[in-house]
Amino acid sequence: MTDPTTASNTDTGTDTPCDLTVVIVDDHSIFRSGLRSELDPTLRVLGEAATVDEAIAVVVATQPRVVLLDVHLPGGTGGGGAEVIRAAAPLAPATLFLALSVSDAADDVVTVIRAGARGYITKSASGAEVSDAARRVAGGDAVFSPRLAGFVLDAFGAVAGETAATTDELDRLSAREQEVMRLIARGYAYKEVASALFISPKTVETHVSAVLRKLQLSSRHELTAWATARKLL
Amino acid sequence: MTLLRPTDPRFTGHLVRPRLRIVAGVCAGFARHSGLPVTFVRTVTFVLALCGGAGVLLYGWLWATTPDEAVDGAAGSDPRGDRLPKAALTGSSTVLPDSRPLPGGPSAGADAGPGAPDGAPADADPAEPRRAPVTEILLGLALVGTAGALIANRLGADLPLDAIIPAIVALAGTGLAWRQFAELRSGAGPRSSGMLVRALGALVLVALGILLFFVTSENPNVWTVVVAALSVLVGVAVVVAPWAVRLTRDLSDERAAREREAGRAEMAAHLHDSVLQTLALIQQKAGPHSDAARLARAQERDLRDWLFTGATNGPVDLAAELRGIATTVERDYAVHVDVVAVGSVDREVPDALLAAAREAILNAARHAGGSVSVYVESSPTAIEVSVTDRGPGFSIGDIPADRMGVRESILARMQRAGGTASVRPGPGGTGTEIRLSLPLDSQEDTP
Repeated sequence: MTDPTTASNTDTGTDTPCDLTVVIVDDHSIFRSGLRSELDPTLRVLGEAATVDEAIAVVVATQPRVVLLDVHLPGGTGGGGAEVIRAAAPLAPATLFLALSVSDAADDVVTVIRAGARGYITKSASGAEVSDAARRVAGGDAVFSPRLAGFVLDAFGAVAGETAATTDELDRLSAREQEVMRLIARGYAYKEVASALFISPKTVETHVSAVLRKLQLSSRHELTAWATARKLL
Repeated sequence: MTLLRPTDPRFTGHLVRPRLRIVAGVCAGFARHSGLPVTFVRTVTFVLALCGGAGVLLYGWLWATTPDEAVDGAAGSDPRGDRLPKAALTGSSTVLPDSRPLPGGPSAGADAGPGAPDGAPADADPAEPRRAPVTEILLGLALVGTAGALIANRLGADLPLDAIIPAIVALAGTGLAWRQFAELRSGAGPRSSGMLVRALGALVLVALGILLFFVTSENPNVWTVVVAALSVLVGVAVVVAPWAVRLTRDLSDERAAREREAGRAEMAAHLHDSVLQTLALIQQKAGPHSDAARLARAQERDLRDWLFTGATNGPVDLAAELRGIATTVERDYAVHVDVVAVGSVDREVPDALLAAAREAILNAARHAGGSVSVYVESSPTAIEVSVTDRGPGFSIGDIPADRMGVRESILARMQRAGGTASVRPGPGGTGTEIRLSLPLDSQEDTP
């Protein structure tokens, strides 16, 4: 699946050690090539895949740092992006997954996040935004789009006034996490959230990671059953 | 008779029996189909019925072969009703609310043609068709007739009782059998084996009536028995035939409906996979603020609305309203408006809030451009809307006193509605954030 032209491209370019290796997984070749040409030059595309089986093979073979993963994928047992994560993650321990979705449907997003994706952005995001998100994921952050933040607030009952009493409670958000999510939902970048709340950007990232962990581990029924009924547009 | 629809010369494509009917709707259906006045059709039928029962036969045959209008409606002329197949992608059990227009829905236009139940809301609404209890009346008449005949016989009149009684028994059996079949078919009553037993009982009654013809006749022989057996078979077949015909038609209707729904689901999946992807790609390629991107975005929103119907929660969906505003604003200005909604409102949202939000979005589009974030949070106690932009920013003190925009349309409007509005610098000190907040009285919404 590796494309020789891209390989030579990146070889001739400034091949710094901080180069980020990515694999693009999407069943539409137009989208793959479009994204590939739009991506930041510091991102090195190791390969592409169009189906679940191809994706698993490519990810395991190339061991990229970040996989840009479409939520909807043909092939495999029909599990789409989530299936890729479940199958490939154990065989590629250093690889992180960033979900790309056109649908924004809550159940899609939640499924892929719960399978282990470190973030989610919409496909209409520009190449620069995708590159930035991939870099943040590679740096260990969780990437939340405003919509995902909104969904999290909804699903964890933050609007109804549910607040976690202890920090290790999985089914509700702490007051601080709610504030962070609200600002992200309003379109604030992490740095802007930090300055608005008078905390350091690192602390914001900690909160976002904590929310991501809750999203992945919580057994709150809204995250599974209710998410399928309510669509996140 | 108020049951008749007044002269409504809709030349329907195929003959259907309307739900408003006197007996079985055959005359009304035929009148509508042919454009003849219904009274005329009825008179002709009645006269024909007197001519050796030809009218009755014709009526019966048409009744057996003509579908109900309701059944026909299920087969495709009811685009907005609860039979609308939902987009299979959503996988949810929500349906399109009646009042909501289908944005660009192809079915809305295509189905408004002939056969759509358009002009008569009273026609589509009642759960049961209003009709005279003909079967009951006929049964009563039969019983009265039998009793009268018996009494007359006692009094000495010479009536051919051995013909009348079997005829009445057979007719009553037929009536009862059809009635049971109709109930079985529509599934109106509780579905139980009792119903089937009753239907079978009615059939037995028919058979008994036919047999009686022969048993009561004089000097029976082998041929009588053979003819009797054949007659019973034919009689039962005649009684069952209409039901069987309809059952097969129901089956094929159902199959057609399933195929249609599958087709629609496939189309939705295809649109989702191809068109939405392409629109996303266009937006990505064209740069966030170009005309092409805005067009693609507007189209994407329309398509999404159509594909994922059922996202609405409650009678008024503030998020949907705001998304609509965002779409119109994006058409007129070079902005990218993102709407994120949290929570759901299950009550009327004051127009003031919507108007103020629209003004805030317009303001951001006019003076800031770029991307505008709209965030709505509807909790049980309050609705909050915030509109954030990354433009040059302004403070309320800088606005000349004669400029009405922000001060009047947003701040004063929210105050009149009992809420608050504030203007503050946006994220990171750039741009503007307008926050609207409207408290809701909490006694209303205790679930």
